[in-house]
Amino acid sequence: MEEAMRLASGLLVWVIALLILAVVIFQAVKFILLAKDAGKEIGMTKGELNSAIKTGAISAIGPSFAIVIVALSLIPFLGEPLTLMRIGIIGSAPIESVGASLGANAYGSELGSTSFNTQAFTAVVWTLCLGGVGWLVFVALATKSMSKIEKKIINKNEKNKKLMMIIATAAMVAAFGNLASAEMVKGFEYIVAVLTASITMLGLTALADKLKKNWIREWSLGLSILTSLVVGYFIFV
Amino acid sequence: MGLKDTIKTTVSDTSSSAIEQFHSRAHFWGRLTVWAAIILSLSLPVVLSFFLGHHPGWSVILSGFLAYAGIIAVVWVLEPIMYYTILGVSGTYIGFLTGNVGNMCLPAAAAAQNTIGAEPGTKKGEITATLAIGAASLVNKVFLIPMILVGAVLVSKIPEHIQQVFPFILPAIFGGVLAQFAMKKPTYGVIGLAIGFVINLTALVVYMKMLLCIILTITICLFLEKRNEAKASV
Repeated sequence: MEEAMRLASGLLVWVIALLILAVVIFQAVKFILLAKDAGKEIGMTKGELNSAIKTGAISAIGPSFAIVIVALSLIPFLGEPLTLMRIGIIGSAPIESVGASLGANAYGSELGSTSFNTQAFTAVVWTLCLGGVGWLVFVALATKSMSKIEKKIINKNEKNKKLMMIIATAAMVAAFGNLASAEMVKGFEYIVAVLTASITMLGLTALADKLKKNWIREWSLGLSILTSLVVGYFIFV
Repeated sequence: MGLKDTIKTTVSDTSSSAIEQFHSRAHFWGRLTVWAAIILSLSLPVVLSFFLGHHPGWSVILSGFLAYAGIIAVVWVLEPIMYYTILGVSGTYIGFLTGNVGNMCLPAAAAAQNTIGAEPGTKKGEITATLAIGAASLVNKVFLIPMILVGAVLVSKIPEHIQQVFPFILPAIFGGVLAQFAMKKPTYGVIGLAIGFVINLTALVVYMKMLLCIILTITICLFLEKRNEAKASV
């Protein structure tokens, strides 16, 4: 176990983990710059562009906090750099922990047990990395085809363009309807959490419209999460 | 209001070629960065196995991988397709590299579209989503790196009673975003939530729930829009 964890926190694992994060950061910066250029050309104002970036950044604070908290639970088993690498790119902590235990089991060991040696650790790394690469390979190969299909449909006529917007909006609503419901069926506390955030969001948006203050909109999701947590704390804790 | 106006204001010849160019650049840089991440990801186990001599044996690797793939392989294909209409070209590349599509990228994109009044599925909507997801990805990494380094100590210092609210973070995110849509499209919101709720009372696998909910909601919304149109044209 100790030997495996020493390998897990070794220089080499760190270097590869940090390189991957560098790729992710580079990509985000590159795409923001590309989108800013394209946005200006289609007639978006500087204010709109900055507002989009700001809202995205603020809205990511709450989720990031939640993600990191769960990620921390993986460190005792996987070490810091592998955790960073797996959570830093496609991958969520619950799924990674499943993969990690499957990898360890395949070697005939268990995470955190005395039989978890360097080879068991390597088996875990293989499982997680191959598993994560599945999404990336599909995205790298198929995104262009998906976009071609989409363009073909849209370019046919105006009506299809409108259809595409309805589909995109409905898909988004469906995704959140499903995600929110999955939480709500967990119990009364969760229903209250969903409803409190919804009501706060309604209130904040109404307020932003009335006062014509855009910063309220930018902060609305962050504030809704915070309100919901505070209410949850006073009712249930 | 709404649909027709946005189409008119966002569609013109110059903006079409601008988006065209944006897409081809997005494909280039997206593929480059995603392939780089794939190669780096695979280099770690290869080095551990063959350069440092910790190879656990191919049969172990294969059986671990197959067990894992049995659970997630469907999702590799389903998720990118399912979220494509929402994320668009550039959003797909960033969203799936940075991860946490449902709980971070989509909420960030939706919130930003709501802030500046851009509709999903339009050019403006796509650019807005890209900016928001890019910014979200950066914030996420800025959080992640220091927290992984010192986080375990830090979190253990947060009092137990405050830690008990952590499970409410996710439902709060989803509730907040759903409300944003419910304001703009109340019927869509009710349909999405109702279908989601019924589906979540069943014992389907998680990704099937999502897929089913999306397909059903789209079908019903399209049906309703068609009926409204028919009514309007009579």
